[in-house]
Amino acid sequence: MIYDVPKVSPGGDRYLLVEFGNEMNLDLNFKAQGLANALTGEDRINGVIETAPCFATTLVHYDPDLISYSDLKVELLRLFESLGSSDDIEVDSRLFYFPTLYLDPWTTDCINDYRDKINPEKEQDPEFVARINGLSDVRQLVRVHSGTEYWAASLGFWPGLAFMMPLDPRCRLTAPKYNPPRTWTPQGAVSMGGMSTAIYPVPSPGGYQLFGRTPVPIWDPQKTFPEFEGDLCIFRPGDRIKYVPCSKEEYLEVERQVTEGSFKFNIVDYQRFSVGNYKRWVASLDLTSRF
Amino acid sequence: MISVIEAGLETSIQDWPGRVGFYNKGFPPSGPLDSWSFRLANILVGNEEGFAALECQFMGPTLKFDRDIVVAITGADMQAKVNGQTCPLWESFTVYAGQSIEMSYAISGARSYIAFCGGIAAEPTLGSRSTFAAAGVGGLTGNALKIGDILPVEPGHGEAGRRIPLVARPHIEQQLTWEVEAVAGPNDDWIDQQGHDRFLSSEWRVSAKSNRMGMRLEGPDWTFTNKAYDKLPENGSEPANIIDHGYPIGAVNLAGQTPIILLNDGPSMGGFINPYTVPQCALWKLGQARPGETFRFKSISVEEAQLRARQINTLCKDCQVNSVT
Repeated sequence: MIYDVPKVSPGGDRYLLVEFGNEMNLDLNFKAQGLANALTGEDRINGVIETAPCFATTLVHYDPDLISYSDLKVELLRLFESLGSSDDIEVDSRLFYFPTLYLDPWTTDCINDYRDKINPEKEQDPEFVARINGLSDVRQLVRVHSGTEYWAASLGFWPGLAFMMPLDPRCRLTAPKYNPPRTWTPQGAVSMGGMSTAIYPVPSPGGYQLFGRTPVPIWDPQKTFPEFEGDLCIFRPGDRIKYVPCSKEEYLEVERQVTEGSFKFNIVDYQRFSVGNYKRWVASLDLTSRF
Repeated sequence: MISVIEAGLETSIQDWPGRVGFYNKGFPPSGPLDSWSFRLANILVGNEEGFAALECQFMGPTLKFDRDIVVAITGADMQAKVNGQTCPLWESFTVYAGQSIEMSYAISGARSYIAFCGGIAAEPTLGSRSTFAAAGVGGLTGNALKIGDILPVEPGHGEAGRRIPLVARPHIEQQLTWEVEAVAGPNDDWIDQQGHDRFLSSEWRVSAKSNRMGMRLEGPDWTFTNKAYDKLPENGSEPANIIDHGYPIGAVNLAGQTPIILLNDGPSMGGFINPYTVPQCALWKLGQARPGETFRFKSISVEEAQLRARQINTLCKDCQVNSVT
C-alpha cells in the first residue's frame, strides 16, 4: 500500500527513515526521489546533511546540533506536502545508451562454472528468466529486456551500483536471486534480481540472474573518462539507462576503445522527467502485449 | 616522512568524519570506528579535526621516522615502544629522526590511533582521505598499509608533553561486558514485545566474523510481529526481509536471525530490517570491543542519545588538554 502520510522513524541520533509505502511501485520511488531532491535543493531544510532515496523510502542524515528530530520530522512532512501529488514531480534525468551483448559468452561461462562447482541443477539464467516470465524463448527475453528505458531508482550496497526499474510496464520481469550466491561475476554483467536490473560495477560475488554484458565502465577510480569528473561512479538517482543490443564484434570494439581511453559515452543531458507525463503515457498503453 | 617497516593488521589511513555526502551513490563514510579516541589524538598533536591519521586494529605497525615528528597514540594499548622505551598513551611526544615506533598486539581495546603533527598528506578522494578498502578507495593506494609504504606528513606546529586528562577519555579497558546504548527504530514495529525484551535483557557475544563493515553478534533468536509475515512478496521470504531501504550507520541489521551492527564501511542499503540503531555516543565501544566480549543493550531515546553525543563532542576540544608538568 501507499501511505496517506509518510511514516517517519528514527535511525539512531542522526538519521531518520521516511517510508512512503510498503510495495514495489515506481510511484513510491518518485516520491522518495522528489523528497530527497527537495531536502537538498533550494528549499533545503537547515541541518540536513545528505539523503539516500531507495525504492519506497528516503533515508535522511542530519546534524542534531542544527535541528532536532521532532522539528525535522514536522518540517520534512510540511515540505513533502508542499510538493503536491507525485504527478507534479519533475526531476532532471540524464539518458545513457549502453551497448550490450545479450547472451554473451562471459556470463555464460560464469553460469556454467556455477553449475560445475555449486549447483548442477541450475537452469541457464536466460532460459530460466524467460520461462518464469512466460516468454517464448531467450530471444524474446532480449527483446523485452532491451525494449524499455530503465529508471535508476536507487544507488547503494556498493558504490555506484544502480538498481534500475523498467519504465515501460510491458517490459516488467521478475527473477529470484541465486541461492546460494555465486562466488564471482564478470564486471559489466547485466543482470536481474527481484524486479530490478543491475550492472556489476566490478568483478564480485553476486546473486542476480545473468543474461548479458556491457563493455561500458560504470566505476572508474582511475578517472580515465571525463564523465567521472568529481566522482568515481557514473550514475545518480533519477538517471535513465537504455540497453542497446550489439554484436560481439561491436562489443569487442567498444571494449578496445574503453581500454585505450578513447571511448565516448553516449549521454543525453537536457531532459526533465515528468512523473505526470509518464503516468499519462503508461495509462495509454495496452498492457496485455509484450514486445 | 615515515616508512612502514611492519604493517600491523589492516592498519589504515582515516579521517573524521570521513567521506560524507555520497551515501546516495553507495559510499559509506568510512573514518575511524572510535572517533572519540581519534579526535583526541589529532588534538594532542595540534592538528585540525579533519586531518588524517592511522587506525591500527588488534596488532599495530612498526614505523620508522626520517625526521623529528610530534605524535600521539590514543585508544587501545598496543604496547608501543620507541628504542625499547614504552611510549605514553593519551600524551604527545616527539619521535626523533632515525627512531621507530614499534607496536605489538592490543592488551586492552581493539583499535589504536596514531596522529602525526601536520597530518598524513594522502590525496583526498571525494573530499576524504579515509580508506575504504572494500572498494579500493582512499588512503595511499585504496588499501591498508603495506610494508614499504611511505607516509608523507605535512609540517605542523604541535608540541610534545600535552596530555588528555582521564575524565576526557573513553573508558577503554578489557571488559567482559559492555553496556551499549541503542535507539529503537527504524523498524522496531517488526519485532514483538518478547523480541524487544530478549534484545534488551540478553548478552550478545561479539563474533570473530566482525570487521569495519559490520560487527556480528551471537545471541538468542528473534521473534516478530505480524508485519514480518503479512507482507507483499517483493518484501522477500524471510521474516526479517523488507523492500531494500537505506541503512543508518550503527543499525542493528537483522540478517535472517543474526544481528550485524553496520559500521563505517558497511553497505548503504539492503533488504533486512533494522529494529534498533546504535547512536554516535556508543560507536566508539563497537570500535574497541573484542571478539568474545559481550554487549548488553540499553534502550535510550533519540534526545538522550543526542545529548550524550554532545557531551562527547565537548570533551573533544583543545581546551580539555593539560600540559604534563
